[in-house]
Amino acid sequence: MPSTNTQKTNITATPTQPAINLRPGNFSTLSEALDYAACGNTGSNFYSGRGHLTHVLPYAELQSQSKNLAKRLNGLGLQRGSRIALVADTTPDFLRFFFACQYAGLIPVPLPISIHLGGHEVYVKQLARLLESCQASIAMAPEGFVPFLEEAATELNLQLIGGPETFASLEESQIPLQPLESHELAYIQYTSGSTRWPRGVEVTQSAVMTNLAGIIQHGLKVQTGDRCVSWLPFYHDMGLVGFVLGPMASQLSVDYLSTRDFAMRPRQWLKLMTNSKATISFSPSFGYELCVRRLREDSSSESYDLSAWRIAGVGAETIRADSLGRFAKALEPSGFNQQAFLACYGMAECSLAISFAPLHSGISVDLVDADELSNNRLASPISSSVIGDEEARVSKFVNCGVPLPGYEVEIRDDMGIALSDRESGTIYVRGASTMTGYFNDPVLTQEALSEDGWLNTGDIGYWIDGSLVIIGRSKDMIIINGRNIWPQDLEYVAEQQPEVRPGDSSAFSVSGPDGDEVAIMVVQCRETNSEKRDDLIHRLGSRIQKELSIPSYIELIPPRTLPRTSSGKLSRSRAKSDFLKRVEWETLAPALSLSA
Amino acid sequence: MMTYAEILPQLVETLKPYAKKVGHPKETTDLVSELGLDSLQVMQVLLKIEDQFDISIPLNNLPNIRTVKDLGQEIEQLLKA
Repeated sequence: MPSTNTQKTNITATPTQPAINLRPGNFSTLSEALDYAACGNTGSNFYSGRGHLTHVLPYAELQSQSKNLAKRLNGLGLQRGSRIALVADTTPDFLRFFFACQYAGLIPVPLPISIHLGGHEVYVKQLARLLESCQASIAMAPEGFVPFLEEAATELNLQLIGGPETFASLEESQIPLQPLESHELAYIQYTSGSTRWPRGVEVTQSAVMTNLAGIIQHGLKVQTGDRCVSWLPFYHDMGLVGFVLGPMASQLSVDYLSTRDFAMRPRQWLKLMTNSKATISFSPSFGYELCVRRLREDSSSESYDLSAWRIAGVGAETIRADSLGRFAKALEPSGFNQQAFLACYGMAECSLAISFAPLHSGISVDLVDADELSNNRLASPISSSVIGDEEARVSKFVNCGVPLPGYEVEIRDDMGIALSDRESGTIYVRGASTMTGYFNDPVLTQEALSEDGWLNTGDIGYWIDGSLVIIGRSKDMIIINGRNIWPQDLEYVAEQQPEVRPGDSSAFSVSGPDGDEVAIMVVQCRETNSEKRDDLIHRLGSRIQKELSIPSYIELIPPRTLPRTSSGKLSRSRAKSDFLKRVEWETLAPALSLSA
Repeated sequence: MMTYAEILPQLVETLKPYAKKVGHPKETTDLVSELGLDSLQVMQVLLKIEDQFDISIPLNNLPNIRTVKDLGQEIEQLLKA
């Protein structure tokens, strides 16, 4: 038996009911928030993939252990504000190091942990780019991952690389701790660690505290008796800010399952929710979809009680109302209430959250005329009576609610003019939670952030009565003959085919021989039979022609080859650059009779 | 204690349903590029293997497991430990 399953059999999880009054995130720094949480009895609990409680870390212990570790880090004589890279597995050690940095005046930089078979080389390269980008002085990984860090850092000049034990044996410094102050950074968050050009978002203490207070007080309206469950990775903004810093800043107990254990045994999430009677948990749409799929494959009559689950948050990728509907239906007998679904919108550049849908009202889908949207950029509502009518093309978008207090949000057209209700454009945000910039990258910073503080989110959306509806990423938009085509629309066509799953396709456009854009879709395909492959290509091409009235070029690629960002999102821009590298486009393009 | 020679046939049997593309998985078969496992299928395979052999494959060993043989040897090591 693995040791984690047998050790500490008699530990008990931290309680849900706090021993101190709830302070809803109104602190000036993360260390101040932890100092308050440490007065109570709540904290973090870690579970194995088989559902055993393996580690309990009350906030009081986290505080004292982090302070002790901070003194040891101080002994290294690093300059204040030095970056400490932390390979972020779902472990108590990550929390200790993250908060030790807070007390020691150092900046933690969470790095992704690889869970890919045979991914050694790719992972080492990714780590090397990240370590170089953040100019880390020291780096920590769980013991088993130290060799990857060492390999990644061979050509870099790091002062110390090691596992938790290496740092535990450092001398304690006698210099008094000087925690990071509100104007200083809280952490650096990488948004796309696997791309060639990683972007490290600089988040100050005051930015993240503003965002946390907004999430706790307005987005979730946290109350005494709440408890969180999370399997989201600690290097992801929703995992780190939402489910490490959020519970800590509102003194809630939180139960963790590692991301890998969730991916292997998705139903453990539901079991943990059942056993701990948790009230708050978030996932991208695919997490809910994964549960449904696993429940369908194995109908063993395990029983769940999800009646305590009051907030089932959804964000981080395009929200798929259909997946959520299936989840709600499958788990209604277990007490799941679909009103618990909470759509939200945000990004690491804003610490985490920008807007939340109203609580306890479920998912609100806006049905719009897809042709009006692509031709005139107008999100014209379409009545549900015409749905099913072959002629009407309908796009479905999820309402992500009203921006948190303190944000100014504008939706602008290409000329920078603010738009009104139901006119789609680029979303711009200004407020106290936005980043100060991308670390050490003035060019990218200038592209994203104006001098007067407006952040170009790169996302497109529209307003309905003060609520934000998100359409997608504008840089991904396919423009053909002046018509805006959403890549999601092509990908949706692909996903409708039985052999294609969500996330298996990526659409973009490439300049054709006469300068016109050509729509391309690459699709991951397991099929090897060439007749069946040809059939899929033809079917996709003709469906797209029929539904979107554009010609397209379809390429089938092997499974697991579409590029993703460190947070698991598909990267269309990289799918495009990979495509251009793979095919000889100059010779291929003229041979394709793609002109409509 | 199971040896690699005993583990291999069991492992091949477990992998068969995922190996429609190559027919019969061999020791040298690359799990990702030849079997064409996507990330969710990888998780399913790992789940089956962990349950079958009652082991827990450490996360940090995954990047170094490329072939059926690598996986078999990993199982052998974990059973020994």
